Amino acid sequence: MPSEAKFSQPLVTRLLGRLGAGLLSVLFVALVTFIADELAPGDAVLAIAGEKARPEIVEQIRKEYGLDKPVPERFVSYVGNAIRGDFGQSYFGTREQVTDIIKRSLPITGMLATWALVVALVIGVFLGTLAALKENLWPDRLALAISTLGVTVPNFVLIPILVLIFVLKMDMLPLTWETPMRAHLVYYLVLPVVVLAARPLAVLTRLTRAAMVDTLQMQFMQFARAKGVPAGKRAIEHGLRHALPPIVTAAGTTFGYLLTGSFITETAFTIPGLGKAAIDAIKKRDTPTVMGIAIVTAILYVTVNLIVDLLQPLLDPRLRESQV
Amino acid sequence: MNRRRSGTGLGIPFWLGVIFLVFLLVFAVVGPGLRHDPLIAVADKHLAPSALYWLGTDEQGRDVFARLAQGARISLMVGFIVQAISLIVGTTVGIIGVFGPRWIGQPLLRLTDAMFAFPDILLAILIIGVWGMGMTPVIAALAITAWPAVARLVKTQAAMLNEREFVIASKALGASTWWNVTRHVVPHLMPLLAAVAMVEVAGTILGESALSFLGIGVQPPNPSWGSMINSARAEMNSHPMLLLWPCLILSLTVFALNFVGDGLRQRLDPRHR
Repeated sequence: MPSEAKFSQPLVTRLLGRLGAGLLSVLFVALVTFIADELAPGDAVLAIAGEKARPEIVEQIRKEYGLDKPVPERFVSYVGNAIRGDFGQSYFGTREQVTDIIKRSLPITGMLATWALVVALVIGVFLGTLAALKENLWPDRLALAISTLGVTVPNFVLIPILVLIFVLKMDMLPLTWETPMRAHLVYYLVLPVVVLAARPLAVLTRLTRAAMVDTLQMQFMQFARAKGVPAGKRAIEHGLRHALPPIVTAAGTTFGYLLTGSFITETAFTIPGLGKAAIDAIKKRDTPTVMGIAIVTAILYVTVNLIVDLLQPLLDPRLRESQV
Repeated sequence: MNRRRSGTGLGIPFWLGVIFLVFLLVFAVVGPGLRHDPLIAVADKHLAPSALYWLGTDEQGRDVFARLAQGARISLMVGFIVQAISLIVGTTVGIIGVFGPRWIGQPLLRLTDAMFAFPDILLAILIIGVWGMGMTPVIAALAITAWPAVARLVKTQAAMLNEREFVIASKALGASTWWNVTRHVVPHLMPLLAAVAMVEVAGTILGESALSFLGIGVQPPNPSWGSMINSARAEMNSHPMLLLWPCLILSLTVFALNFVGDGLRQRLDPRHR
């Protein structure tokens, strides 16, 4: 195509713009946490050395951690190190490298997020499609009821209720994560995945329903019907295919949210993922760990959203030729 | 949506919500001081509900009724303070973004967009993570995450109002930007902002409860519904009622605020008509 260069130009500009905005957002998170740390009452050095430490020891530790340098200098050197993948050491325990903490916990959070997304997508898209096909009939009402509950009942209310039923009363599932595990991994994943999937499932159900209701009224759907395409094939290959872009966008946002948003679930089920690591670090005031996790989750979130943005033209042919 | 427009009244959920919120307000104001001190043990542990201890006592022998009421007071206080801050900051930023000079308006709007790039709870948790725990950091963290939504709403609405005849007429008569903003634009936005704030208060209360559930929000001995849910988890098999009450009151509060906010918004927000 002779005009291909003309079409791809805005896409590249758009991509660069998005990349720049994403980088700015990550830098912004680093800055906000850094400033909050500076404004915070109390002295990190005293927290490490203990309140009663001798002044010369306090000064020594301050030097050791580089906390005696001016704030802007520390921020610049922090960002410089972070780019090389070095987020410093934890203040406490064995003073583990923050990068190692993240490497250890991120795969677990990633696994949870992936399963939750799969569950939410499969059930959400199914329920949403069903609701749209049976608009205002009982499947629609049922889907609405499920999604309303999923959106309004917070995780930390859902968790104790599920634990009470499935762990304490029926004794079917383990309460917390254990190492070594006494049963198959699946048993440990069921409740956390259900809890994590609840809200995304509700959102995806609503979104799929809305997108499908719009799609079903389109002329090409009537045409497919007139052409004699069977109902099931019509719904999936014609309807769902057309309703897909907003669903993918929401799924992407959801995945980003799941990667960062499992603080409550991981803490409640003592799952050693990124969320629990963050909460543990916060309770100890382990600033390097908190900041490291903050920046990594910010990068993940921005990356996932960027990928979703880039997928749009693949899913929606109309966007390939648009100039926006 | 024809169905929405057909009813002129606000509907039963709206009024149920209003009634519940009035009760909750009374509960929060008089409840903590009514019978027992919510912060200290007043009787034996795990007493059943009785005439003296209306909802029984918790795992430390504290009065559950008084603690729920104190939790209501804290939740409502945090909710309304955070929304007040967020409304003031968000409105100011939104207005400056539309009417202010570009060199300050554009960076502010970029900042607003940057804030949207992250899940609210993440930012709140991180701010508390480096600031430390307690009431002030909780309010600050929730307010910092809440204002961008208001700023974005005010920006779009104010830009629309700026094109309306009465504002143009006022400009033609020589009114200053300040006059237009304070006499025409902001008063026009007030009802809509009030409705949105209602729904946002629910989000803030959920946020505060989530933080307290994680143990990094409201700190003991002060109760929060979130921390009550968390501490009730330990003995929920033998004492499920301790879990039920805070879950119930929290869910009902969120429902009520949403009903009332949605009812008002459908009336006031032109996009919903």
